[in-house]
Amino acid sequence: MEAYLVAILIITAIYVLLSLGLTLQYGLTGLINFGHVGFFCIGAYAAAILSAYAGLPVIVGFLAAIVLAGLAAFPIGLIALRLRDDYFAIVTLGFSETVRIIVTSEKQLTNGVQGIPGIPRLVDGVGILSALAVLAVLLAANGAAIYAFRRIVASPFGRMIEAIRDNEEAVKALGKDPARFKIQVLVLGAALAGLSGAFYAHYIGYVSPDQFNPLVTFYVWMAIIMGGVGRISGAIVGTALLMLFLEGSRFLRDVMPFISAVDMASIRIGAVGLALVLFTLYRPQGLMGDFTRRR
Amino acid sequence: MAFWIELVIAGLVSGLVIGLSALSITLVFGIARFPNAATGDTMTLGAYGALIGHRITGSLIAGGILGAAAGALVGVLGYLLIFRQLARRSNVALLVASIGLGFMLRAAMGVAFGHSQSVFQLPLVRPWRLGEVPIQPNDLWLALAAGSALMVVFGVLYLTPIGRRMRAVADDAALARVSGISPDRVMIALWVLAGAVAAVAGMIAGIKTVVSPEMGWDLLLPAFSAAIFGGIGSPVGAVVAGLILGVAQEVATPFVGFTYKIALAFVVMLFVLLVRPRGLFGKLEGAR
Amino acid sequence: MTIDRRTMLQAAGSALALTLTPATGKAQGAPFRIGALNPVTGAGSPYGSGMQKMILAAVDEVNAAGGAGGQKLEAFPDDTQTTPQAAVLAAKKLIEVNKVKAILGTWSSGVSLAVVPLTNDANVLLMNTSGAPALSVPPANAKGLSYRFQATNDRFGRAFAEIAVKEGYQRAATMAFNNASGIGNTTGFKKAWEAKGKKVVEEVVYEPNQSSYRAELQKVLAAKPDVIVMGSFLPDTTIILREWFQTGAKTKWIIPGWAANPQLIAALGLEATEGLISVDSVSNENAPSFKRYDALHQKVTGQPGASNVYAAMTYDMVITLALAMEAAKSADVAAINAKIREVGNPAGEEVFSFADGKAALAAGKKINYQGASSVLDFDQFGDVTPDFGVFFITKGKLERRYVVKI
Repeated sequence: MEAYLVAILIITAIYVLLSLGLTLQYGLTGLINFGHVGFFCIGAYAAAILSAYAGLPVIVGFLAAIVLAGLAAFPIGLIALRLRDDYFAIVTLGFSETVRIIVTSEKQLTNGVQGIPGIPRLVDGVGILSALAVLAVLLAANGAAIYAFRRIVASPFGRMIEAIRDNEEAVKALGKDPARFKIQVLVLGAALAGLSGAFYAHYIGYVSPDQFNPLVTFYVWMAIIMGGVGRISGAIVGTALLMLFLEGSRFLRDVMPFISAVDMASIRIGAVGLALVLFTLYRPQGLMGDFTRRR
Repeated sequence: MAFWIELVIAGLVSGLVIGLSALSITLVFGIARFPNAATGDTMTLGAYGALIGHRITGSLIAGGILGAAAGALVGVLGYLLIFRQLARRSNVALLVASIGLGFMLRAAMGVAFGHSQSVFQLPLVRPWRLGEVPIQPNDLWLALAAGSALMVVFGVLYLTPIGRRMRAVADDAALARVSGISPDRVMIALWVLAGAVAAVAGMIAGIKTVVSPEMGWDLLLPAFSAAIFGGIGSPVGAVVAGLILGVAQEVATPFVGFTYKIALAFVVMLFVLLVRPRGLFGKLEGAR
Repeated sequence: MTIDRRTMLQAAGSALALTLTPATGKAQGAPFRIGALNPVTGAGSPYGSGMQKMILAAVDEVNAAGGAGGQKLEAFPDDTQTTPQAAVLAAKKLIEVNKVKAILGTWSSGVSLAVVPLTNDANVLLMNTSGAPALSVPPANAKGLSYRFQATNDRFGRAFAEIAVKEGYQRAATMAFNNASGIGNTTGFKKAWEAKGKKVVEEVVYEPNQSSYRAELQKVLAAKPDVIVMGSFLPDTTIILREWFQTGAKTKWIIPGWAANPQLIAALGLEATEGLISVDSVSNENAPSFKRYDALHQKVTGQPGASNVYAAMTYDMVITLALAMEAAKSADVAAINAKIREVGNPAGEEVFSFADGKAALAAGKKINYQGASSVLDFDQFGDVTPDFGVFFITKGKLERRYVVKI
């Protein structure tokens, strides 16, 4: 039982990193990134290739995951500046699909659809202790991310990005260039997604292209919309709720065996949809947020 | 030569599906002003509706009408229950809600119809030959169906009073309201039209391929590309862009391969957005 | 009526309690727990429910015969969603919460590769139906706890090559669905075909969920092959063959049995499917074990047993496991593992059901279980080499002409 709970906590912590990245991008800056899974994918593959194929130390893979995902966000950021925000959403969705296609096609590098098995674990050994060690590393990473997040929000930079979100024209009138800030935020959020991807690859131990479909992006969106957009507590609570819901459906069947697993999958995605609609309609600020300034 | 002509024909037929779904997107985008991500799942619904109609009556036309009615119904319900409530909110709220609606539709269809494939039971026929080039009779029928759907939509848009009002709202919502156009009636007409068009697109896709709850989602990205490529709010642009994209995907495959052809829609979209954001036929960016 | 927080909590608590202590039934003593981890949703969904139902049905059959090794079996069903992440969490739940000793019926290679490190760590048996060669060897099968009841994709490809030679084809082309299984089939074919000194005239790998496969088809047909060998699944095969027929081309096709099945015939009609060659690992159709399985499958799913080869494999998994438990007279995984080849491989009296095997073991004989899915002889990697049935579709019926042994 404990090991199962630890496993869920590990996956939750991995997703919290994703949610934090998106919170930075959307919650603070208003960038509608529908391609979050693309950066996650880049991070996961960077870590997988460097550790499983090249045999480099794990830390190199992690650094590469963060840097490459961040770099990939840079051109996307340049494009973002020229687009309305709903166009940007569609472009980023297309970006993540393109990443998946590239990963599928470039067999020399990624082993194509066969995926990369045998990615080494972060902590050797079996049993609960090694799992707890992985969780500890993840929590440390989350703590660092949250600390950095708070510093950013409190800094002049943070005030600037919030000002961009609330009134971009006013920022321009002050002679500041919102473009630079937008790109920086996008890169930061993507780097967090890349870090998350590296943890994911080392935890699951196997990556293949079909793990990185847009549903992952929408799960993260659901998490931050439920939790409260733009707040760290919202990202954490929302992600925990999401996991409770995804894993809880597993136990629901033990209690209600008349629901077939096939229907359960449909019900799961239907509930994601319902949550998105109901929260948008009735609680746009999410569970944790006051969120009065936008919309 | 025959090789390329065959590819172009195949592309045109795929392009009709893309064009029709892009038409649905561009209507909503132009008038209700948000990208409707539930379009894909409305297409799936149309395909299942037509499938049931076809099985009961044995007639594809009756099936198509039932499918279109189902699409229109979901469009109107979505508007009344969700999108009307969000009219004053940002387009992001509407976009997120439309994704939610799409997921719910897909879930409902998954429960109702299961996940294994369904097919339209239509007789398969060997092609006619025009010289070297084989012409498939079924392609002609599909083109005819798509053509009639287009004629109905353009007839409504350009020949009826409600169509004129819809175009007025698309041009300038504030001005239209001042001139006494009831937004509710225009919106309901819009959603009937958009839902029905998406449903017909879904039916054609279903006849060409197989019907499953996930089919519409897979067609969404090319449809968005075509809507943007054609110019948001331009019905003609959406259809033309859909046809161009369809042909481009097929003709490009000998050069880019079968995996990267999927990315082509995205590349075209990106290029258009950066170079000519108003698309082929679009007006300059209107106010949001 | 008002529901306050306390009643909600109580309800949630009792629901959780119910979850964690599932009804153990009438078993005396602790039952031996197995996990039925199947692709009920996702890409494997056409097979997953049937696989899971057959595990549950086989467990009932074993229990009705008095259990195995002095214990009743108890199965915990779960869904991999055909994705590694969901499968890993499901496997964790089965191992940690439900305390299963064996996990049966993982389907896609990605899922099995993601689950096998967990079962190895926990010293739990894994019986899969995946095709990827990597599952045979370390690190995946480092402890020898993993068994594969399905032919590897490579073996399928070899069978395809044998058939193409036997049918006298010269110019073969291949079309593969872009995933591990699809490509595995066609590369296996290519290797075996070229080893016979023949040439593959064109190879196409296509993506799923396309609205048309005409460009792909045209490329293949332009090379003028006399036969096209597929590594494909049902939906894409349906679309490709429909478009192929409508182009008017007259090629022959060799298609894996999970794609060229009665559903395909129902979708395309008699004329378009006439003469297609469908290849499947022969369910051991003439064996009494298959008849038992078929009847059981009819009963629990309403479909003929031949419609889902994977369900036959999961059925065999339970029977094999139960016979090994009976032979080991123990619930210890290592002891059971040591007996699996002993009850499955030759030298021993051929038995076709759990009850017969149990009786034979009780009489002190050695046994060789002949499965419903194949004769089930495991090599040193835990892989089986089934025979392959070659079916020609004639007038809408799958007609078996001969069997290929590789």
